[in-house]
Amino acid sequence: MESIAPAVHPPETLVRSAGLTWTIPAMLVGSTSIAVGLLWDISWHMTIGRDTFWTPAHMAIYLGGVLAGICGGWLALRTTFAGTPEERAAAVRFWGFRAPYGAWVAIWGALAMLTSAPFDDWWHNVYGLDVKILSPPHTVLAAGMIAIQVGTMLLVLAPRNRASEDQETSLGLAFVYAAGIVLLMLTILLSEYGHPNEQHAAIFYKVSCAVYPALLAAVARSSRLRWPATLTAASYMLVVAAMVWILPLFPARPLLGPINNPLDHMAPPAFPLLLVVPALGIDLLMRRRKNGWKSALLLGAAFVALFFVAQWLFAEFLLSPASRNAFFAGDRHWSYGSRLAEWRYQFWNLEADPVKPATFATAFALAVLSSRLGIWWGDWMARVRR
Amino acid sequence: MKRFLSFLFLVFLLPGMARAHVGSPNVFYDGEAGPWPVRVIVRPPEVVPGVAEITVTVKEGSPRRVTVQPVHFQTGLQGAPPADVAEPVPGAPGVYSGQLWLMIQGSYSIRVRIEGAAGEGVLLVPLSAAPTRLKEMQTGMGAVLSVLGLLLFAGAVTLAGAAVRESVLEPGEAPDAGRLRRSRTVAVAVGLFLVLVLAGGRRWWNAVEAAAREDLYRPFTTEASVRPGQGLSLAILDERRHEWSPIIPDHGKLMHLFLVREPGLDAFAHLHPVPVDGGQERFESALPPLPPGRYRLYADVVHESGFPQTMVDTVEVPAGASGGPADPDDSWSAASPQSEVSPLENGGSMTWLKGGSGDLRFQVKEPDGRPAVLEPYMGMTAHAVVTREDGSVFVHLHPVGSFAMASQEAFERELGQPPAMSMNHAGHGTPGLVSIPYEFPRPGRYRVWVQVKSGGRVLTGAFATTVSPAHP
Repeated sequence: MESIAPAVHPPETLVRSAGLTWTIPAMLVGSTSIAVGLLWDISWHMTIGRDTFWTPAHMAIYLGGVLAGICGGWLALRTTFAGTPEERAAAVRFWGFRAPYGAWVAIWGALAMLTSAPFDDWWHNVYGLDVKILSPPHTVLAAGMIAIQVGTMLLVLAPRNRASEDQETSLGLAFVYAAGIVLLMLTILLSEYGHPNEQHAAIFYKVSCAVYPALLAAVARSSRLRWPATLTAASYMLVVAAMVWILPLFPARPLLGPINNPLDHMAPPAFPLLLVVPALGIDLLMRRRKNGWKSALLLGAAFVALFFVAQWLFAEFLLSPASRNAFFAGDRHWSYGSRLAEWRYQFWNLEADPVKPATFATAFALAVLSSRLGIWWGDWMARVRR
Repeated sequence: MKRFLSFLFLVFLLPGMARAHVGSPNVFYDGEAGPWPVRVIVRPPEVVPGVAEITVTVKEGSPRRVTVQPVHFQTGLQGAPPADVAEPVPGAPGVYSGQLWLMIQGSYSIRVRIEGAAGEGVLLVPLSAAPTRLKEMQTGMGAVLSVLGLLLFAGAVTLAGAAVRESVLEPGEAPDAGRLRRSRTVAVAVGLFLVLVLAGGRRWWNAVEAAAREDLYRPFTTEASVRPGQGLSLAILDERRHEWSPIIPDHGKLMHLFLVREPGLDAFAHLHPVPVDGGQERFESALPPLPPGRYRLYADVVHESGFPQTMVDTVEVPAGASGGPADPDDSWSAASPQSEVSPLENGGSMTWLKGGSGDLRFQVKEPDGRPAVLEPYMGMTAHAVVTREDGSVFVHLHPVGSFAMASQEAFERELGQPPAMSMNHAGHGTPGLVSIPYEFPRPGRYRVWVQVKSGGRVLTGAFATTVSPAHP
C-alpha cells in the first residue's frame, strides 16, 4: 500500500480514470445541493420559521454531505484496494490510503459537517436557536461545506491539468462552475455585512475586497478558459438569481411568532452581488501574465474600482421602487419577524461606518493582499496533477 | 405514571432563577375552558428561543380537538403563529401534549382551545419567557466532539502536507527529499496556524458564553431595611426599572411580600407594602410582631405586560420592630411546622391530605371538628407558599395554579378575552377542602404555608415535608 507506483504516462487513462466518470458529476450535484439547500434553509427560517431535522432544505444540505462522503470514500477505497496502477499513481497518500487530492479534501469536509451536527444541536440547547448565520458550530459546518466544494474543484482540476488542450473544455467549465459555488458560499457567510441596505457602509467594501478577489484571482490564474473569473461570478449569480426567482413561487406562511410581517410566499434571498463586473476586469488583466505582486496590485485596483462603482449604484437601484418586482425581488427579503417601516428603504450605518477616502485605501490594500493570495493559490492549482 | 412524573421532575424541573417564583419554573393552571374542566401544565424553555412543553388534561368529556398557541403580549393574537394541535398522549386518556417555540423573550400567554360535542372553550395560561440557565457540556458529548475535533485537526494538517508532497507531482513521480522536507514544514506551519484559529474560536465561544450569561434573567435588585416602629422599607434600585412597564395590582395589591425567618424557617409573614414615593421605587409596610432575626424576603410583583417577577432579598428584623400602618390583608405566623396536622390560630386545624392526585390538598376544620367554611382571601379561597429549606425554590400558589392572576387579566384585556372560569372554589365544592395543583421541582426538604380565611380571620397552616429523589 505504501509503495510508490511506477511512473507511467498513458494520457488516455490518466486524464479521467473510471472512478471519476460518475464521482465528478455527483460531487458537482452535491456542491450545488449544499448551496441551494442553504439558500432554501435561510428562506425557510425567514418565512416559516419552524423547522425539523427533516425539512427539504436540510435534506438538500445533507445530500451534499452524503454525496461527498460516498464519492470521497469510494474513491479512497477503490483506489487503495482495487485501483489500476495508473489510478494509484495519480493519487495522494493519506494515512495509508490513496485517493485523488480533491477526494481527501471532500472527505474532510464531510467529517466537518458531521462534527458540526451534534455541536450545533448542543449549541441550540444551551444558547437558544440561533438568529445569526455566524456561530462557532455554523463555522465548522461552513468549513465542511466549503471543503466539499473546494474538493470538487480540485477533483475536476487534477484531470483537467493532465488533459491536453482539446480535452479540457468540459472539465474547465466544471471547474469554474465549482468555483462559482464556492463563491456563493462565501457570499452567504458574509451576508451579515452584505445586505443591500448595508452596501453603502464601509465594512461591506472592506470585507468584500478582502475575500472575493482571492477566489476570482485564483480561478483566473489556474484556468485555461478565456473568461474564467467572469464565468465563476456568473455561475454564482445565476444560481442565486434562480433562487430569487423560484422561491417566491411557493406559498408558505409563518409557523412561529411573533409575526410582524405576515408572509404568504417563501421569501427570496437578496439579488446577487454584481461580482461579474470586477471579474471581467480580473480576466482581462490576467491575460497579460506578470509576476505575482505586480498582478496583485493591478487586480486589487481593478477589483476595488469596478466593484465599488457597480455595487454602489446597483444598491441604490435595489432600494428604489424600480427594483420591487419579481426579477430583482427588491423589498421582498424581510422575515416574518420584521417590523416593516421606512428603514427598509434606507441605507444603514451611514453615520456609524461611512465610506471615506481611507475606506478606499484599506479596501485597496485588502484587495491587493487578497489577490496576491489568490495568485499564489492559483499557481498551485495550475500545477495540481493528482 | 408516577415513575414517569418522577422522571419529569428530574429532567424538566431542574432549578433556575425565574419569574414569579424562584427555581420553580413550571406553570400550573386549573380551570375551565368553556364547558371543559382542564388542567394545563406549561414547562417553559430554559433558553430563548426555545421550546415550551404544554400538557393539557381534560378532566371530563372527550374533546374532538385541543389546540395550543403562543401569544406574545406585544403582538397579540394578530401576530401569533397558527395554533398547533395538541396530540392525545397514548395510554393517558384525556391528556394532550404539544410543543411550542417561543422565539423572543417577554410575556406570553398560551391560548388553549378545546372543541367537542359539549361546545368550544378557550383559556389563557400566562407564561414569561426568559433565559434562566446555562447548561454545561456533558462529558460524553465533550468526548465525542473532542475526538472529532482532533480527527479534523490531524486531517487538516495531513492535507496541508499532502498538498506540497504529492498533489503537484506527475502521476507516479516520487517526492524528493527537499519536497518531503517542505511538506513537513508546511504541515507544521498549518498546524500552528490552526492552533491560532482554535484560540480565536475559543475567545469567540467565551464571548458568546459571557453574553448569554449576561442575558440570563435576573430579578430586579432591591434594598430592604427595617426601622423600629416604622416597619419595613423595600427600595427597587435596579436601573432596568425605567425600561420595564409599570407594576400593576395582583389580587388588588401592587406587591405581595413574603418573609421567612432564617435559619429555622419558623416564622412567616405575607405583607402588602405600598409605594410611598409617588412612584414605584420605594415600598413600605408595617411589620407584624414577628420574632427577631434574619429574614428572607420574596417580593412578588406583576408588570403591565403581564410579566411577573419575584425579587429576592434579606433583612434583619430587630426585637420590637413591629409597627407602622398595616394592610388589613397582612398575615403572619410563627407556628411550628407540622408534617400532617397544623393547629390554626382559631383553635381549628389544617390537615395535609397526602397521596392521591399529586395536588397539594388540605382539609381545614373548625375547632369543633366540622369542615370550615372558607371565605375569599384577596379573591382566592387559599394562598400557599412553597419554599425549599435552602431557599433555592420559592413559589406563591393558588387553587387555580401557580401563575399570577394579574398576568392572566392583562392578557384577557389585551386579547378581548372574557375572564376565565377558574376553579377558584377550592376543593371543587367540598367544604373546607383546599386543592392546589403543583409538583415539587426537585427533591429536598420543603416548607409549605397555606393561608385561608374563615370567620373573617386569616388562618395559616405551617408544614414541613421531604421530597424524595425519584426512584429509577
